[in-house]
Amino acid sequence: MPVHQDRGLATVNTAPQPRRWLALGALTLALLITALLRLTLDHPPGGGIGFAWPDPEWVRYRWTALANAVSAGGALGLAGLLLQSLLRNPLASPYVLGASSGAGLGIMVSLYLTHRMGGTALPPARATLPALAGSLGALGLVLGLATRRGGPDPVNLLLVGVVVSTLCGAGILFFQYLVPMGLRGEFLTWLMGHVPQATPPADLMLAASLPLAGLAFTLRMAGALDAGALSEEEARSIGVPVNALRLGGFLLAGLLTAGAVAVTGPIGFLGLIAPHLARGMAGPRHATAAPASLLAGAWLLVLADTASQLLDFGTGPMPPGVFTALAGGVLFLVLLHRTRSWTLDGM
Amino acid sequence: MIPHAPRLAVEDLHARYRDREVLRGIRVRHSGGALVAVVGPNAAGKTTLLRCLAGLLRPTRGAVYLDDRPVHRLPARIRARRIAYVPQRPGLYAPYTVRETVALGRYAAGPDPSAVDTALAQTGLLELAGRRWSELSAGQQQRAVIARALAQLGGPGLLLLDEPTAALDLRHALDTLQVLRARTRSGTLVVATIHDLNLAAAFAQEIWLLDAGRLVYAGPADEALRPRRLEAVFQVGFQHRRCLVPVLPEI
Repeated sequence: MPVHQDRGLATVNTAPQPRRWLALGALTLALLITALLRLTLDHPPGGGIGFAWPDPEWVRYRWTALANAVSAGGALGLAGLLLQSLLRNPLASPYVLGASSGAGLGIMVSLYLTHRMGGTALPPARATLPALAGSLGALGLVLGLATRRGGPDPVNLLLVGVVVSTLCGAGILFFQYLVPMGLRGEFLTWLMGHVPQATPPADLMLAASLPLAGLAFTLRMAGALDAGALSEEEARSIGVPVNALRLGGFLLAGLLTAGAVAVTGPIGFLGLIAPHLARGMAGPRHATAAPASLLAGAWLLVLADTASQLLDFGTGPMPPGVFTALAGGVLFLVLLHRTRSWTLDGM
Repeated sequence: MIPHAPRLAVEDLHARYRDREVLRGIRVRHSGGALVAVVGPNAAGKTTLLRCLAGLLRPTRGAVYLDDRPVHRLPARIRARRIAYVPQRPGLYAPYTVRETVALGRYAAGPDPSAVDTALAQTGLLELAGRRWSELSAGQQQRAVIARALAQLGGPGLLLLDEPTAALDLRHALDTLQVLRARTRSGTLVVATIHDLNLAAAFAQEIWLLDAGRLVYAGPADEALRPRRLEAVFQVGFQHRRCLVPVLPEI
Protein backbone atom coordinates (compact mmCIF):
# COMPACT_ATOMS: atom_id res chain seq x y z
CA MET A 1 0.00 0.00 0.00
CA PRO A 2 2.04 3.02 1.02
CA VAL A 3 5.15 1.74 -0.66
CA HIS A 4 3.38 0.64 -3.85
CA GLN A 5 1.66 3.89 -4.59
CA ASP A 6 2.54 6.42 -7.20
CA ARG A 7 1.10 9.86 -6.43
CA GLY A 8 1.02 10.52 -10.15
CA LEU A 9 -2.05 8.32 -10.39
CA ALA A 10 -4.00 10.65 -8.11
CA THR A 11 -5.63 12.41 -11.05
CA VAL A 12 -8.40 9.82 -11.39
CA ASN A 13 -11.59 11.46 -10.22
CA THR A 14 -14.59 10.90 -12.38
CA ALA A 15 -17.00 13.05 -10.33
CA PRO A 16 -18.35 15.01 -13.30
CA GLN A 17 -19.15 18.28 -11.56
CA PRO A 18 -19.72 20.36 -14.73
CA ARG A 19 -22.06 17.67 -16.07
CA ARG A 20 -24.17 18.00 -12.93
CA TRP A 21 -24.66 21.73 -13.44
CA LEU A 22 -25.33 21.07 -17.11
CA ALA A 23 -28.11 18.69 -16.03
CA LEU A 24 -29.75 21.50 -14.05
CA GLY A 25 -29.58 23.67 -17.16
CA ALA A 26 -31.12 20.93 -19.29
CA LEU A 27 -33.99 20.42 -16.83
CA THR A 28 -34.62 24.18 -16.65
CA LEU A 29 -34.69 24.34 -20.43
CA ALA A 30 -37.08 21.37 -20.62
CA LEU A 31 -39.34 23.07 -18.06
CA LEU A 32 -39.31 26.37 -19.98
CA ILE A 33 -40.09 24.72 -23.32
CA THR A 34 -42.90 22.63 -21.81
CA ALA A 35 -44.25 25.69 -20.00
CA LEU A 36 -44.33 27.55 -23.29
CA LEU A 37 -46.21 24.63 -24.83
CA ARG A 38 -48.72 24.67 -21.96
CA LEU A 39 -49.25 28.40 -22.38
CA THR A 40 -49.71 28.33 -26.12
CA LEU A 41 -51.29 24.93 -26.77
CA ASP A 42 -54.72 25.39 -28.26
CA HIS A 43 -56.95 22.35 -28.40
CA PRO A 44 -60.61 23.32 -28.56
CA PRO A 45 -63.10 20.49 -27.98
CA GLY A 46 -63.67 18.70 -31.28
CA GLY A 47 -61.02 20.87 -32.97
CA GLY A 48 -57.41 20.28 -34.00
CA ILE A 49 -54.17 21.17 -32.23
CA GLY A 50 -52.66 24.60 -32.67
CA PHE A 51 -50.23 26.93 -30.96
CA ALA A 52 -51.13 30.54 -30.32
CA TRP A 53 -50.68 33.04 -27.54
CA PRO A 54 -54.03 32.98 -25.74
CA ASP A 55 -56.44 35.88 -25.45
CA PRO A 56 -55.78 38.20 -22.50
CA GLU A 57 -58.85 36.88 -20.71
CA TRP A 58 -57.56 33.30 -21.00
CA VAL A 59 -53.87 33.85 -20.38
CA ARG A 60 -54.36 34.41 -16.65
CA TYR A 61 -55.89 30.94 -16.26
CA ARG A 62 -53.01 29.31 -18.10
CA TRP A 63 -50.41 31.19 -16.04
CA THR A 64 -52.24 30.09 -12.90
CA ALA A 65 -52.31 26.44 -14.03
CA LEU A 66 -48.63 26.68 -14.89
CA ALA A 67 -47.72 28.21 -11.51
CA ASN A 68 -49.75 25.56 -9.67
CA ALA A 69 -48.17 22.72 -11.66
CA VAL A 70 -44.63 24.05 -11.10
CA SER A 71 -45.22 24.54 -7.34
CA ALA A 72 -46.95 21.24 -6.69
CA GLY A 73 -44.68 19.20 -8.99
CA GLY A 74 -41.55 20.79 -7.53
CA ALA A 75 -42.74 20.15 -3.99
CA LEU A 76 -43.53 16.49 -4.73
CA GLY A 77 -40.18 15.95 -6.48
CA LEU A 78 -38.30 17.38 -3.52
CA ALA A 79 -40.41 15.45 -0.99
CA GLY A 80 -39.67 12.24 -2.91
CA LEU A 81 -35.92 12.92 -2.86
CA LEU A 82 -35.98 13.57 0.89
CA LEU A 83 -37.91 10.37 1.61
CA GLN A 84 -35.74 8.22 -0.66
CA SER A 85 -32.54 9.63 0.88
CA LEU A 86 -33.64 9.50 4.52
CA LEU A 87 -35.01 5.98 4.22
CA ARG A 88 -32.22 4.80 1.87
CA ASN A 89 -35.00 3.32 -0.21
CA PRO A 90 -35.31 3.92 -3.97
CA LEU A 91 -39.01 3.05 -3.94
CA ALA A 92 -40.01 5.53 -1.24
CA SER A 93 -42.25 8.43 -2.27
CA PRO A 94 -45.00 10.56 -0.71
CA TYR A 95 -47.61 8.50 -2.59
CA VAL A 96 -46.25 5.05 -1.79
CA LEU A 97 -45.66 5.90 1.90
CA GLY A 98 -49.18 7.16 2.45
CA ALA A 99 -48.26 10.85 2.88
CA SER A 100 -50.33 11.89 -0.16
CA SER A 101 -53.38 9.86 0.86
CA GLY A 102 -52.97 11.05 4.46
CA ALA A 103 -52.95 14.66 3.27
CA GLY A 104 -55.99 13.87 1.11
CA LEU A 105 -57.82 12.40 4.10
CA GLY A 106 -56.95 15.46 6.20
CA ILE A 107 -58.41 17.73 3.55
CA MET A 108 -61.47 15.53 3.06
CA VAL A 109 -62.20 15.54 6.82
CA SER A 110 -61.89 19.33 6.96
CA LEU A 111 -64.05 19.68 3.82
CA TYR A 112 -66.68 17.52 5.48
CA LEU A 113 -66.53 19.52 8.73
CA THR A 114 -66.68 22.80 6.79
CA HIS A 115 -69.71 21.49 4.95
CA ARG A 116 -71.36 20.39 8.24
CA MET A 117 -70.86 23.86 9.63
CA GLY A 118 -72.53 25.35 6.60
CA GLY A 119 -69.38 26.52 4.79
CA THR A 120 -68.33 25.97 1.22
CA ALA A 121 -65.17 24.35 -0.19
CA LEU A 122 -61.85 25.19 1.44
CA PRO A 123 -59.37 27.39 -0.41
CA PRO A 124 -55.92 25.78 -0.69
CA ALA A 125 -54.36 28.10 1.89
CA ARG A 126 -56.77 26.85 4.53
CA ALA A 127 -56.48 23.27 3.28
CA THR A 128 -52.72 23.16 3.93
CA LEU A 129 -53.03 22.70 7.70
CA PRO A 130 -55.40 19.71 7.63
CA ALA A 131 -53.33 18.30 4.75
CA LEU A 132 -50.19 18.66 6.86
CA ALA A 133 -51.81 16.94 9.82
CA GLY A 134 -52.94 14.06 7.61
CA SER A 135 -49.63 13.80 5.78
CA LEU A 136 -47.48 13.78 8.92
CA GLY A 137 -49.92 11.49 10.69
CA ALA A 138 -49.78 8.91 7.89
CA LEU A 139 -46.00 9.20 7.53
CA GLY A 140 -45.52 8.87 11.29
CA LEU A 141 -47.78 5.83 11.40
CA VAL A 142 -45.93 4.15 8.50
CA LEU A 143 -42.51 4.85 10.01
CA GLY A 144 -43.61 3.76 13.46
CA LEU A 145 -45.09 0.48 12.28
CA ALA A 146 -42.28 -0.33 9.82
CA THR A 147 -39.40 0.36 12.20
CA ARG A 148 -37.54 -2.60 13.54
CA ARG A 149 -34.36 -2.57 15.61
CA GLY A 150 -31.91 -0.14 14.04
CA GLY A 151 -34.28 1.72 11.72
CA PRO A 152 -37.10 1.36 9.22
CA ASP A 153 -37.03 -1.92 7.34
CA PRO A 154 -37.26 -1.21 3.58
CA VAL A 155 -39.68 -4.01 2.70
CA ASN A 156 -41.88 -3.40 5.76
CA LEU A 157 -41.92 0.27 4.90
CA LEU A 158 -43.48 -0.33 1.51
CA LEU A 159 -45.94 -2.92 2.80
CA VAL A 160 -47.11 -0.74 5.69
CA GLY A 161 -47.15 2.26 3.33
CA VAL A 162 -49.49 0.46 0.95
CA VAL A 163 -51.80 -0.54 3.82
CA VAL A 164 -51.89 2.95 5.39
CA SER A 165 -52.38 4.48 1.94
CA THR A 166 -55.30 2.14 1.28
CA LEU A 167 -56.82 2.92 4.70
CA CYS A 168 -56.54 6.66 4.04
CA GLY A 169 -58.10 6.08 0.61
CA ALA A 170 -60.98 4.24 2.29
CA GLY A 171 -61.32 7.14 4.72
CA ILE A 172 -61.51 9.59 1.82
CA LEU A 173 -64.27 7.51 0.23
CA PHE A 174 -66.12 7.29 3.56
CA PHE A 175 -66.16 11.07 4.01
CA GLN A 176 -67.13 11.48 0.40
CA TYR A 177 -70.07 9.21 1.08
CA LEU A 178 -71.07 11.44 4.01
CA VAL A 179 -71.39 14.62 1.92
CA PRO A 180 -74.45 15.29 -0.26
CA MET A 181 -74.48 13.93 -3.81
CA GLY A 182 -74.20 17.41 -5.31
CA LEU A 183 -70.83 18.08 -3.64
CA ARG A 184 -69.25 14.75 -4.55
CA GLY A 185 -68.37 15.72 -8.11
CA GLU A 186 -66.21 18.60 -6.88
CA PHE A 187 -64.39 16.31 -4.46
CA LEU A 188 -63.94 13.66 -7.11
CA THR A 189 -62.20 16.10 -9.48
CA TRP A 190 -59.83 17.03 -6.68
CA LEU A 191 -59.36 13.36 -5.78
CA MET A 192 -58.28 12.48 -9.31
CA GLY A 193 -55.41 14.97 -9.13
CA HIS A 194 -55.98 18.11 -11.13
CA VAL A 195 -54.14 21.35 -11.79
CA PRO A 196 -56.48 24.23 -10.90
CA GLN A 197 -56.64 27.14 -13.32
CA ALA A 198 -58.22 29.59 -10.93
CA THR A 199 -56.44 30.25 -7.63
CA PRO A 200 -56.34 33.49 -5.62
CA PRO A 201 -52.90 35.22 -5.83
CA ALA A 202 -52.28 34.83 -2.08
CA ASP A 203 -52.75 31.05 -2.34
CA LEU A 204 -50.50 30.95 -5.39
CA MET A 205 -47.77 32.76 -3.45
CA LEU A 206 -48.11 30.32 -0.55
CA ALA A 207 -48.00 27.31 -2.88
CA ALA A 208 -44.92 28.68 -4.65
CA SER A 209 -43.08 29.61 -1.47
CA LEU A 210 -43.26 26.07 -0.05
CA PRO A 211 -40.97 24.33 -2.57
CA LEU A 212 -38.58 27.29 -2.55
CA ALA A 213 -38.33 27.24 1.25
CA GLY A 214 -38.06 23.45 1.06
CA LEU A 215 -35.19 23.74 -1.40
CA ALA A 216 -33.38 26.21 0.86
CA PHE A 217 -33.73 23.84 3.84
CA THR A 218 -32.68 20.82 1.76
CA LEU A 219 -29.58 22.64 0.52
CA ARG A 220 -28.72 23.52 4.12
CA MET A 221 -28.97 19.82 4.99
CA ALA A 222 -27.22 18.70 1.78
CA GLY A 223 -23.97 17.64 3.46
CA ALA A 224 -25.78 15.66 6.14
CA LEU A 225 -28.09 14.05 3.56
CA ASP A 226 -25.04 13.06 1.48
CA ALA A 227 -23.42 11.49 4.53
CA GLY A 228 -26.75 9.92 5.49
CA ALA A 229 -26.26 7.47 2.61
CA LEU A 230 -23.91 5.58 4.92
CA SER A 231 -25.27 2.97 7.32
CA GLU A 232 -26.83 4.66 10.33
CA GLU A 233 -23.98 3.76 12.66
CA GLU A 234 -21.34 5.04 10.24
CA ALA A 235 -23.26 8.25 9.64
CA ARG A 236 -23.42 8.85 13.38
CA SER A 237 -19.74 8.05 13.77
CA ILE A 238 -18.69 10.73 11.28
CA GLY A 239 -20.78 13.30 13.13
CA VAL A 240 -24.16 13.32 11.36
CA PRO A 241 -26.96 14.09 13.84
CA VAL A 242 -29.06 11.26 12.39
CA ASN A 243 -32.14 11.66 14.58
CA ALA A 244 -32.38 15.42 14.03
CA LEU A 245 -31.81 14.94 10.30
CA ARG A 246 -34.59 12.35 10.06
CA LEU A 247 -37.02 14.43 12.09
CA GLY A 248 -36.32 17.60 10.09
CA GLY A 249 -36.38 15.74 6.78
CA PHE A 250 -39.67 13.94 7.44
CA LEU A 251 -41.32 17.13 8.67
CA LEU A 252 -40.16 18.91 5.54
CA ALA A 253 -41.28 16.06 3.25
CA GLY A 254 -44.66 16.01 5.01
CA LEU A 255 -45.05 19.78 4.66
CA LEU A 256 -44.11 19.74 0.97
CA THR A 257 -46.53 16.88 0.27
CA ALA A 258 -49.30 18.63 2.19
CA GLY A 259 -48.73 21.88 0.28
CA ALA A 260 -48.85 20.05 -3.05
CA VAL A 261 -51.89 17.91 -2.22
CA ALA A 262 -53.77 20.98 -0.95
CA VAL A 263 -53.37 22.50 -4.42
CA THR A 264 -53.71 19.56 -6.80
CA GLY A 265 -55.06 16.61 -4.83
CA PRO A 266 -53.05 13.38 -4.76
CA ILE A 267 -50.74 13.18 -7.78
CA GLY A 268 -49.51 9.62 -8.05
CA PHE A 269 -45.89 8.52 -8.51
CA LEU A 270 -44.50 11.94 -9.42
CA GLY A 271 -42.53 12.03 -6.16
CA LEU A 272 -41.11 8.62 -7.01
CA ILE A 273 -40.01 9.24 -10.58
CA ALA A 274 -38.70 12.83 -10.32
CA PRO A 275 -35.83 12.03 -7.88
CA HIS A 276 -34.70 9.10 -10.05
CA LEU A 277 -34.63 11.31 -13.12
CA ALA A 278 -32.84 14.02 -11.13
CA ARG A 279 -30.17 11.75 -9.66
CA GLY A 280 -29.63 10.07 -13.02
CA MET A 281 -28.91 13.43 -14.60
CA ALA A 282 -27.37 15.49 -11.79
CA GLY A 283 -25.68 12.83 -9.68
CA PRO A 284 -26.42 11.62 -6.15
CA ARG A 285 -25.04 14.63 -4.22
CA HIS A 286 -27.87 16.69 -2.77
CA ALA A 287 -26.39 20.08 -3.67
CA THR A 288 -27.38 19.29 -7.25
CA ALA A 289 -29.89 16.44 -6.80
CA ALA A 290 -32.23 18.66 -4.72
CA PRO A 291 -32.69 21.49 -7.26
CA ALA A 292 -32.76 18.84 -10.00
CA SER A 293 -35.57 16.93 -8.21
CA LEU A 294 -37.55 20.15 -7.83
CA LEU A 295 -37.07 20.98 -11.51
CA ALA A 296 -37.83 17.41 -12.62
CA GLY A 297 -41.02 17.29 -10.52
CA ALA A 298 -42.14 20.67 -11.86
CA TRP A 299 -41.35 19.66 -15.43
CA LEU A 300 -43.14 16.30 -15.16
CA LEU A 301 -46.32 17.84 -13.78
CA VAL A 302 -46.34 20.62 -16.39
CA LEU A 303 -45.76 17.92 -19.01
CA ALA A 304 -48.58 15.78 -17.60
CA ASP A 305 -50.88 18.80 -17.45
CA THR A 306 -50.01 19.71 -21.06
CA ALA A 307 -50.51 16.13 -22.24
CA SER A 308 -53.79 15.90 -20.36
CA GLN A 309 -55.09 18.89 -22.35
CA LEU A 310 -54.77 16.69 -25.43
CA LEU A 311 -56.33 13.62 -23.83
CA ASP A 312 -60.01 14.31 -24.13
CA PHE A 313 -62.46 11.46 -24.51
CA GLY A 314 -65.44 13.75 -24.84
CA THR A 315 -65.64 14.43 -21.10
CA GLY A 316 -63.07 17.21 -20.88
CA PRO A 317 -59.30 17.03 -20.48
CA MET A 318 -58.12 14.00 -18.55
CA PRO A 319 -56.99 14.99 -15.02
CA PRO A 320 -53.16 14.92 -14.91
CA GLY A 321 -53.35 12.82 -11.73
CA VAL A 322 -54.87 9.97 -13.74
CA PHE A 323 -52.16 10.36 -16.36
CA THR A 324 -49.25 10.36 -13.83
CA ALA A 325 -50.75 7.45 -11.88
CA LEU A 326 -50.98 5.37 -15.06
CA ALA A 327 -47.53 6.27 -16.41
CA GLY A 328 -45.90 6.31 -12.96
CA GLY A 329 -47.43 2.99 -11.97
CA VAL A 330 -45.80 1.28 -14.94
CA LEU A 331 -42.46 2.94 -14.15
CA PHE A 332 -42.79 1.87 -10.51
CA LEU A 333 -43.13 -1.75 -11.62
CA VAL A 334 -40.03 -1.36 -13.80
CA LEU A 335 -38.08 0.10 -10.86
CA LEU A 336 -39.34 -2.66 -8.57
CA HIS A 337 -38.16 -5.23 -11.07
CA ARG A 338 -34.75 -3.58 -11.38
CA THR A 339 -34.26 -3.08 -7.65
CA ARG A 340 -31.96 -5.86 -6.62
CA SER A 341 -30.24 -4.53 -3.56
CA TRP A 342 -32.58 -1.93 -2.06
CA THR A 343 -30.07 0.84 -2.52
CA LEU A 344 -30.12 4.10 -4.44
CA ASP A 345 -27.32 2.68 -6.57
CA GLY A 346 -27.70 1.32 -10.05
CA MET A 347 -31.22 2.57 -10.53
CA MET B 1 -8.22 23.35 20.79
CA ILE B 2 -4.68 22.04 20.42
CA PRO B 3 -4.75 18.43 19.22
CA HIS B 4 -3.27 16.11 21.79
CA ALA B 5 -2.98 12.41 22.34
CA PRO B 6 -6.24 10.99 23.72
CA ARG B 7 -6.72 9.95 27.32
CA LEU B 8 -9.11 7.02 27.41
CA ALA B 9 -10.69 5.74 30.61
CA VAL B 10 -13.28 2.96 30.73
CA GLU B 11 -14.97 2.83 34.12
CA ASP B 12 -17.11 -0.12 35.23
CA LEU B 13 -18.62 -0.42 31.74
CA HIS B 14 -21.79 -2.48 31.45
CA ALA B 15 -23.81 -2.82 28.24
CA ARG B 16 -26.75 -4.97 27.25
CA TYR B 17 -28.94 -5.76 24.26
CA ARG B 18 -32.48 -6.19 25.59
CA ASP B 19 -32.17 -8.74 28.40
CA ARG B 20 -28.72 -10.04 27.44
CA GLU B 21 -25.82 -8.47 29.29
CA VAL B 22 -22.87 -8.25 26.91
CA LEU B 23 -20.30 -6.23 28.86
CA ARG B 24 -19.91 -6.80 32.59
CA GLY B 25 -17.82 -4.22 34.35
CA ILE B 26 -14.92 -3.40 32.02
CA ARG B 27 -12.26 -1.15 33.53
CA VAL B 28 -9.24 -0.07 31.53
CA ARG B 29 -7.26 3.10 30.92
CA HIS B 30 -4.86 4.18 28.23
CA SER B 31 -3.16 7.45 27.37
CA GLY B 32 -1.20 8.35 24.28
CA GLY B 33 -0.59 6.70 20.95
CA ALA B 34 -0.54 2.91 20.75
CA LEU B 35 -2.09 0.04 18.86
CA VAL B 36 -4.34 -2.00 21.13
CA ALA B 37 -5.68 -5.32 19.85
CA VAL B 38 -8.94 -6.52 21.37
CA VAL B 39 -9.00 -10.31 21.18
CA GLY B 40 -11.40 -12.92 22.41
CA PRO B 41 -13.77 -15.63 21.22
CA ASN B 42 -17.01 -14.96 19.35
CA ALA B 43 -19.66 -13.17 21.40
CA ALA B 44 -17.09 -12.07 23.99
CA GLY B 45 -18.30 -8.47 23.60
CA LYS B 46 -15.53 -7.07 21.38
CA THR B 47 -17.83 -5.24 18.94
CA THR B 48 -20.02 -3.98 21.77
CA LEU B 49 -16.96 -2.62 23.55
CA LEU B 50 -15.91 -0.78 20.38
CA ARG B 51 -19.42 0.66 19.92
CA CYS B 52 -19.36 1.92 23.51
CA LEU B 53 -15.89 3.43 23.01
CA ALA B 54 -17.24 5.15 19.86
CA GLY B 55 -20.15 6.64 21.79
CA LEU B 56 -22.62 4.80 19.53
CA LEU B 57 -24.03 2.60 22.30
CA ARG B 58 -25.09 4.02 25.64
CA PRO B 59 -23.75 1.96 28.55
CA THR B 60 -26.28 0.56 31.01
CA ARG B 61 -23.82 1.30 33.82
CA GLY B 62 -20.42 2.98 34.00
CA ALA B 63 -19.03 5.14 31.22
CA VAL B 64 -16.27 5.67 28.69
CA TYR B 65 -14.33 8.90 29.19
CA LEU B 66 -12.22 10.56 26.53
CA ASP B 67 -10.11 13.38 27.92
CA ASP B 68 -12.26 13.19 31.07
CA ARG B 69 -15.59 13.65 29.22
CA PRO B 70 -18.13 10.82 28.81
CA VAL B 71 -18.18 10.00 25.09
CA HIS B 72 -21.90 9.18 24.84
CA ARG B 73 -22.71 12.73 25.96
CA LEU B 74 -20.39 14.46 23.46
CA PRO B 75 -22.20 16.31 20.62
CA ALA B 76 -21.96 14.25 17.40
CA ARG B 77 -19.72 16.70 15.53
CA ILE B 78 -17.27 17.19 18.40
CA ARG B 79 -17.10 13.46 19.00
CA ALA B 80 -16.45 12.81 15.30
CA ARG B 81 -13.38 15.06 15.34
CA ARG B 82 -11.77 12.93 18.06
CA ILE B 83 -13.16 9.44 17.47
CA ALA B 84 -13.35 7.53 14.16
CA TYR B 85 -15.06 4.16 13.87
CA VAL B 86 -14.76 1.45 11.23
CA PRO B 87 -17.58 -1.12 11.48
CA GLN B 88 -17.27 -4.74 10.53
CA ARG B 89 -19.87 -4.44 7.77
CA PRO B 90 -19.90 -1.03 6.10
CA GLY B 91 -22.93 0.09 4.13
CA LEU B 92 -23.40 2.74 1.49
CA TYR B 93 -26.70 3.39 -0.28
CA ALA B 94 -25.67 5.86 -2.97
CA PRO B 95 -23.50 5.52 -6.08
CA TYR B 96 -20.58 7.57 -4.72
CA THR B 97 -17.06 7.22 -5.98
CA VAL B 98 -14.34 5.97 -3.66
CA ARG B 99 -13.00 9.52 -3.31
CA GLU B 100 -16.44 10.87 -2.43
CA THR B 101 -16.89 8.08 0.12
CA VAL B 102 -13.54 8.81 1.77
CA ALA B 103 -14.28 12.55 1.72
CA LEU B 104 -17.42 11.89 3.83
CA GLY B 105 -15.01 11.37 6.71
CA ARG B 106 -14.39 15.13 6.67
CA TYR B 107 -18.08 15.85 7.41
CA ALA B 108 -17.44 17.13 10.93
CA ALA B 109 -14.01 18.71 10.57
CA GLY B 110 -14.51 20.34 7.17
CA PRO B 111 -13.24 19.53 3.67
CA ASP B 112 -9.54 18.67 3.38
CA PRO B 113 -8.61 17.22 -0.03
CA SER B 114 -5.01 16.61 1.02
CA ALA B 115 -6.13 14.51 4.03
CA VAL B 116 -8.37 12.53 1.65
CA ASP B 117 -5.52 12.03 -0.83
CA THR B 118 -3.15 10.95 1.91
CA ALA B 119 -5.67 8.44 3.28
CA LEU B 120 -6.33 7.08 -0.23
CA ALA B 121 -2.58 6.69 -0.80
CA GLN B 122 -2.03 5.03 2.57
CA THR B 123 -4.68 2.42 1.85
CA GLY B 124 -3.55 1.86 -1.75
CA LEU B 125 -6.77 3.20 -3.26
CA LEU B 126 -5.53 6.18 -5.29
CA GLU B 127 -5.87 4.26 -8.52
CA LEU B 128 -9.46 3.36 -7.64
CA ALA B 129 -10.43 6.84 -6.39
CA GLY B 130 -12.77 7.51 -9.32
CA ARG B 131 -14.44 4.13 -9.25
CA ARG B 132 -17.90 3.58 -7.79
CA TRP B 133 -18.10 2.10 -4.32
CA SER B 134 -20.38 -0.70 -5.54
CA GLU B 135 -17.75 -1.80 -8.06
CA LEU B 136 -15.21 -2.55 -5.31
CA SER B 137 -14.51 -5.97 -3.81
CA ALA B 138 -15.29 -6.51 -0.12
CA GLY B 139 -11.62 -6.06 0.74
CA GLN B 140 -11.36 -2.83 -1.24
CA GLN B 141 -14.51 -1.53 0.45
CA GLN B 142 -12.98 -2.31 3.81
CA ARG B 143 -9.84 -0.37 2.87
CA ALA B 144 -12.00 2.54 1.69
CA VAL B 145 -13.76 2.69 5.06
CA ILE B 146 -10.39 2.59 6.81
CA ALA B 147 -9.26 5.44 4.52
CA ARG B 148 -12.37 7.40 5.50
CA ALA B 149 -11.54 6.94 9.18
CA LEU B 150 -7.91 8.02 8.59
CA ALA B 151 -9.13 11.14 6.76
CA GLN B 152 -11.66 11.83 9.51
CA LEU B 153 -9.04 12.28 12.22
CA GLY B 154 -6.91 15.18 11.11
CA GLY B 155 -4.70 14.96 14.20
CA PRO B 156 -4.31 12.50 17.03
CA GLY B 157 -7.49 10.85 18.23
CA LEU B 158 -9.15 7.57 19.01
CA LEU B 159 -9.35 5.24 16.00
CA LEU B 160 -11.62 2.23 16.50
CA LEU B 161 -11.71 -0.62 14.00
CA ASP B 162 -13.88 -3.73 14.12
CA GLU B 163 -12.06 -6.57 12.36
CA PRO B 164 -10.18 -4.26 9.97
CA THR B 165 -8.27 -7.14 8.38
CA ALA B 166 -11.13 -9.66 8.10
CA ALA B 167 -11.74 -9.18 4.36
CA LEU B 168 -8.13 -8.40 3.42
CA ASP B 169 -5.53 -10.63 1.80
CA LEU B 170 -2.29 -11.07 3.70
CA ARG B 171 -0.39 -8.27 1.97
CA HIS B 172 -3.13 -5.73 2.48
CA ALA B 173 -3.69 -6.90 6.05
CA LEU B 174 -0.01 -6.35 6.83
CA ASP B 175 0.04 -3.01 5.02
CA THR B 176 -3.10 -1.84 6.84
CA LEU B 177 -1.75 -2.75 10.25
CA GLN B 178 1.51 -1.04 9.35
CA VAL B 179 -0.38 2.15 8.44
CA LEU B 180 -2.32 1.96 11.70
CA ARG B 181 0.85 1.39 13.66
CA ALA B 182 2.49 4.36 11.93
CA ARG B 183 -0.51 6.49 12.89
CA THR B 184 0.09 5.76 16.57
CA ARG B 185 3.41 7.63 16.41
CA SER B 186 1.56 10.92 15.99
CA GLY B 187 -0.42 10.24 19.16
CA THR B 188 -3.44 8.32 17.85
CA LEU B 189 -4.76 5.54 20.03
CA VAL B 190 -5.84 2.69 17.73
CA VAL B 191 -8.13 0.05 19.22
CA ALA B 192 -8.86 -2.81 16.82
CA THR B 193 -10.54 -6.16 17.22
CA ILE B 194 -8.31 -8.77 15.59
CA HIS B 195 -9.09 -12.47 15.34
CA ASP B 196 -5.68 -13.50 14.04
CA LEU B 197 -3.60 -13.82 17.19
CA ASN B 198 -0.32 -13.90 15.24
CA LEU B 199 -1.13 -10.58 13.56
CA ALA B 200 -2.17 -9.17 16.93
CA ALA B 201 1.08 -10.34 18.48
CA ALA B 202 3.14 -8.88 15.65
CA PHE B 203 1.59 -5.42 15.55
CA ALA B 204 -0.15 -4.60 18.82
CA GLN B 205 1.70 -2.96 21.68
CA GLU B 206 -1.07 -3.86 24.06
CA ILE B 207 -3.70 -6.56 24.12
CA TRP B 208 -7.11 -6.52 25.78
CA LEU B 209 -8.36 -10.07 26.18
CA LEU B 210 -12.13 -10.32 26.51
CA ASP B 211 -14.11 -13.33 27.63
CA ALA B 212 -17.88 -13.40 28.18
CA GLY B 213 -18.10 -9.64 28.58
CA ARG B 214 -15.22 -9.38 31.06
CA LEU B 215 -11.74 -8.03 30.50
CA VAL B 216 -9.52 -10.88 31.65
CA TYR B 217 -6.24 -9.27 30.66
CA ALA B 218 -5.01 -5.85 29.56
CA GLY B 219 -1.31 -5.38 29.09
CA PRO B 220 1.73 -5.91 26.86
CA ALA B 221 1.19 -8.22 23.90
CA ASP B 222 3.92 -10.73 24.72
CA GLU B 223 2.49 -11.23 28.19
CA ALA B 224 -1.06 -11.61 26.90
CA LEU B 225 -0.54 -14.38 24.40
CA ARG B 226 0.62 -17.10 26.73
CA PRO B 227 -0.75 -20.55 25.93
CA ARG B 228 -2.31 -21.13 29.35
CA ARG B 229 -4.08 -17.77 29.33
CA LEU B 230 -5.38 -18.29 25.79
CA GLU B 231 -6.48 -21.88 26.46
CA ALA B 232 -8.67 -20.69 29.32
CA VAL B 233 -10.39 -18.18 27.07
CA PHE B 234 -10.57 -19.92 23.68
CA GLN B 235 -11.03 -23.51 24.98
CA VAL B 236 -8.40 -24.94 22.57
CA GLY B 237 -4.79 -25.96 23.03
CA PHE B 238 -1.97 -23.58 22.07
CA GLN B 239 1.72 -24.20 21.52
CA HIS B 240 4.67 -22.30 20.09
CA ARG B 241 6.11 -24.06 17.03
CA ARG B 242 7.95 -23.37 13.85
CA CYS B 243 5.74 -22.90 10.83
CA LEU B 244 5.61 -20.92 7.59
CA VAL B 245 4.92 -17.27 8.38
CA PRO B 246 5.17 -14.16 6.19
CA VAL B 247 8.10 -11.84 6.72
CA LEU B 248 6.68 -9.08 8.86
CA PRO B 249 7.67 -5.51 8.17
CA GLU B 250 9.91 -3.83 10.70
CA ILE B 251 7.88 -1.82 13.14
